[in-house]
Amino acid sequence: MSEYNKPLPEIQPYSKGFWDGTRQHKLLIQHCNSCDANIFYPRRDCPKCWSQDLGWIEASGKAEVYTYSVTLEGVEEMFVEDLPIILAWIDLPEGIRMHTNLVECEPEDVHIGMEVEVVFRDVTDEVTLPFFRPVKK
Amino acid sequence: MSKRGLAIVGIGEVPTSRDPERTRWDILLDVCMEAVRDAGIDKNQIGAVISNNPMAQPSMQNDMSLGKIPEVMGLEGCRDIAICNAGGASTTNCLRLAEQHIESGQADFVLVPHTTIQSDIPAQQLINFFATAPLDKQFEYPYGVTFNGSMGLITQRYMYETGATEEQLAAVTVALRAWGALDPLSIFYGKPITLEDVMNSRMISTPLKAKECNLLADGGGAMLVTSHDIAREMGEKAVYKRGHGTRFMSATPFMREDVFHRKAYRESSQDALEQSGLSIHDMDLRQIYGAYPYTQCSALEGYGVCEEGQGASLWADGRCGPGGDLPCTTMGDATGRGHTGSGVSMAFYLDTVRQLRGQAGERQVANCENAILTTSGGSVMNTCTTVFGRSPQ
Repeated sequence: MSEYNKPLPEIQPYSKGFWDGTRQHKLLIQHCNSCDANIFYPRRDCPKCWSQDLGWIEASGKAEVYTYSVTLEGVEEMFVEDLPIILAWIDLPEGIRMHTNLVECEPEDVHIGMEVEVVFRDVTDEVTLPFFRPVKK
Repeated sequence: MSKRGLAIVGIGEVPTSRDPERTRWDILLDVCMEAVRDAGIDKNQIGAVISNNPMAQPSMQNDMSLGKIPEVMGLEGCRDIAICNAGGASTTNCLRLAEQHIESGQADFVLVPHTTIQSDIPAQQLINFFATAPLDKQFEYPYGVTFNGSMGLITQRYMYETGATEEQLAAVTVALRAWGALDPLSIFYGKPITLEDVMNSRMISTPLKAKECNLLADGGGAMLVTSHDIAREMGEKAVYKRGHGTRFMSATPFMREDVFHRKAYRESSQDALEQSGLSIHDMDLRQIYGAYPYTQCSALEGYGVCEEGQGASLWADGRCGPGGDLPCTTMGDATGRGHTGSGVSMAFYLDTVRQLRGQAGERQVANCENAILTTSGGSVMNTCTTVFGRSPQ
């Protein structure tokens, strides 16, 4: 694998489960076993009830575009080769909103409300980032 | 004597510019001395120095945090110092802490300074700072997001929900630059732009174009504050805090349910107005620090100046810029004045003082008796809203 020169997520002890999941190409959402809240991003304690009895549920991987922005310039040097970058906030049916990039599509094809699905990219041996792409009809 | 209330009685500011030849300390000393002279007090009457934390200026942060200002300036009556950091809401927090020093009787006068130089910091380093400081390093930063990109995401959704057009939003920047073009303290003094200039400028992060994004600049300002009672004896130069309200939303933009901050603008302004005994319709000037055009629209919607979704049309109809019947953000916001980090909020307070004193030159709002001002920190994590008036009540 060629050397990945972009910033990697600063993985925390309590988010390790999420990133272990992406390495197995699973999108895991933190879940509170005390109050049933789905939690994103992962924390040490449930932000609703402060329970530490937290586990993981596997998300369906489907989502809907809440908003997007196509970045054409002004990024740090290591991201220049990726321009244009389609930034998006996507809503998961599990009640979670995530920040991501939309991939495998052209900027002009993106719209709010578009159905997307997770796609995993193993960017290093240790880290897999989840991205989203349009659902093929 | 009662020590209640907060009033601004002295101001100092240097023009916003990009001039790495000026040192941070040169700016700091100039604005502090100007504020003291403007107030007409002796330097040794200053009982505390509460500094606005300058973002991305580590050496200055240390100097301000650990007491260099009273030592260098010979403030012999200074009883304590502190620095406040809440990003763009730092100045607001300085004023809160200053008020505590005054109400507790420890200080009659408090000096609140800021200084920043960004022109000597490499562009890549600044992009990195604004991409990492207010955004999430685990779930946002690996995706190539910049601060402009983050605000582009919100702006896109604002347009989708309200039907505001790119031209209407571009009109916000035209108006902000029109205010800046009339202001000798703006980096854009004498440089108005047209709707075509905004629309034809390079696309940065859709729908935000280059002219709608911020030019990072150098600057600095200072305020001298005291109690209402002392201010009353100082005459016309005093501007009085009448009420204050604040709401926190979230650190990370995508975590925000109140994505355009309308509810936070509404509730914080209601608190501030209720304390002041005034209505939003009594406000002669609305000063909104949001740094991106959509905030200039959603704040008016949250304040109750117009219906939800109508903010952009007020700007597009020319009602908020020079000559309009609803003057807003005469300070120009970061877009129309240059972005001096946490100093933008300082400049907002200073400009509000000038307007209420009748010292705003070509930008002067006629009969400006009361003004409402909102600052925000981080990625608009909060809305800190204050009502100021020419009279204490």
